[in-house]
Amino acid sequence: MLEGLVSQESLSLNSMDMSVLERLKWVQQQQQQLQQVVYQSSNNSHELLQILQFHGSNNDDLLQSSFSPFQMLGSGFGPNYNIGFGPPHEAMDECISRTSSCHMEPVDTIEVLLKTGEENRAIALKNKRNPEVKTRGEEKTEKKIKVEAETESSMKGKSNMRNTEASSDTSKETSKKASEIQKLDYIHVRARRGQATDRHSLAERARREKISKKMKYLQDIVPGCNKVTGKAGMLDEIINYVQCLQRQVEFLSMKLAVLNPELELAVEDVSVKQAYFTNVVASKQSIMVDVPLFPLDQQGSLDLSAINPNQTTSIEAPSASWETQSQSLYNTSSLGFQY
Amino acid sequence: MNTYNMVKQRFIKKWINTLHMLDSSIEHPLNVTERKNAIRLSSDLAIAATRSGSTVWSRALISRSGNKTTNKPMARRILKKARNRMKNRCNTLRRNGNFTAKSGTRKRTDLLKSLVPGGEVIDDKDYLIRETLDYIVYLRAQVDVMRTVAAIDLVTGNLTNDRRNK
Repeated sequence: MLEGLVSQESLSLNSMDMSVLERLKWVQQQQQQLQQVVYQSSNNSHELLQILQFHGSNNDDLLQSSFSPFQMLGSGFGPNYNIGFGPPHEAMDECISRTSSCHMEPVDTIEVLLKTGEENRAIALKNKRNPEVKTRGEEKTEKKIKVEAETESSMKGKSNMRNTEASSDTSKETSKKASEIQKLDYIHVRARRGQATDRHSLAERARREKISKKMKYLQDIVPGCNKVTGKAGMLDEIINYVQCLQRQVEFLSMKLAVLNPELELAVEDVSVKQAYFTNVVASKQSIMVDVPLFPLDQQGSLDLSAINPNQTTSIEAPSASWETQSQSLYNTSSLGFQY
Repeated sequence: MNTYNMVKQRFIKKWINTLHMLDSSIEHPLNVTERKNAIRLSSDLAIAATRSGSTVWSRALISRSGNKTTNKPMARRILKKARNRMKNRCNTLRRNGNFTAKSGTRKRTDLLKSLVPGGEVIDDKDYLIRETLDYIVYLRAQVDVMRTVAAIDLVTGNLTNDRRNK
């Protein structure tokens, strides 16, 4: 059993080493991406920069300042309660559809800024509302704007996600805009050029897009899912990942059992740990950066519409945003972490 | 971003509580395996309690953990009503038996259902994937926190050993 322990430990150590490297690369990538987008964007570059910086770092000030223009729009929406499929679904949808003005989805805002005008922003933001409210909002904005490049489905329950593909190329958007068909019936799905527009195919397409969107979100969360296509392969990856995490929990609890003969977490450590978790600001110069892995909304439930598809690697090792003494301690412990 | 840290913070507070509760209800001395099981149990209960019961997996995890511990009042203290509801549903499903998977996707979804706590009761594939996503996020938080705690314990253990040796 001891050998197994050691081998597992070396495995996790390797993963931690790799993840440190990966994290460094990720930080560099983010900075590069940041610079690229800054150059590419024509107007509103300042806001874009802020939003991307928010996504790459952990800075509260940036968060506040970049989302203040959206706050008034976001505040007009309030909590939405979906009448979903039943109690668990309802709560889930409630969590997901409730948009906190602080935690604006970066992708949403990026796409919004790439489009023209404030009306588009309103549309992108309002896509999270439930069907009844969406119809009202849509009628208002449809009068203002000619075309809309997104397809929407306002079916009940889970279809309440934001439906944008985070498209970065504007040429594709303009072509879609030209072929848009406006519909004002109950199912708000707009047909693209050359596609059937009868009810059944629309509903079918909406359902398919919903499922594919879910798969995309899963790709963002589960690392290494980008290379695999097809539902079976992605399910394989997901299963593998969940199994890995569960095994890690098992292993870590065994390790804690070995290290703690009394089944207690020492009190001084507790206060230190609490201090560690409350200290949110991470300096960019530090090696370990607290990466915003999964956007959670205020309640702590998964905010699926906010996941950035551009995020490639997910970082495994925890961060060290800490008081000075403990920080050096932690760095040495995790960097020189060997048996 | 802040909320991920908040999740970890809530988790660690709840974990300390559950560990204390478990500690008072279990007789000492324990060997390593029993300690590990206790730590695992308390950690699972804490992460499910952090999610605060609006998801299927959290309730299922609590009911599943509640069966393992002899101290039922403790589990009930953490989550009152939904636990029993969830437990009954899970049991009826297991009694009805398993059906063989037809295609590759079907087999995999069944496997996923067996991995995610409470997945067996979810019929809708869409919702299952949502639950899986949420579960993965919280599982990551659990792993992160436990890893931090283990690292700290290792370091403090080394420090105390050094002091003793000197």
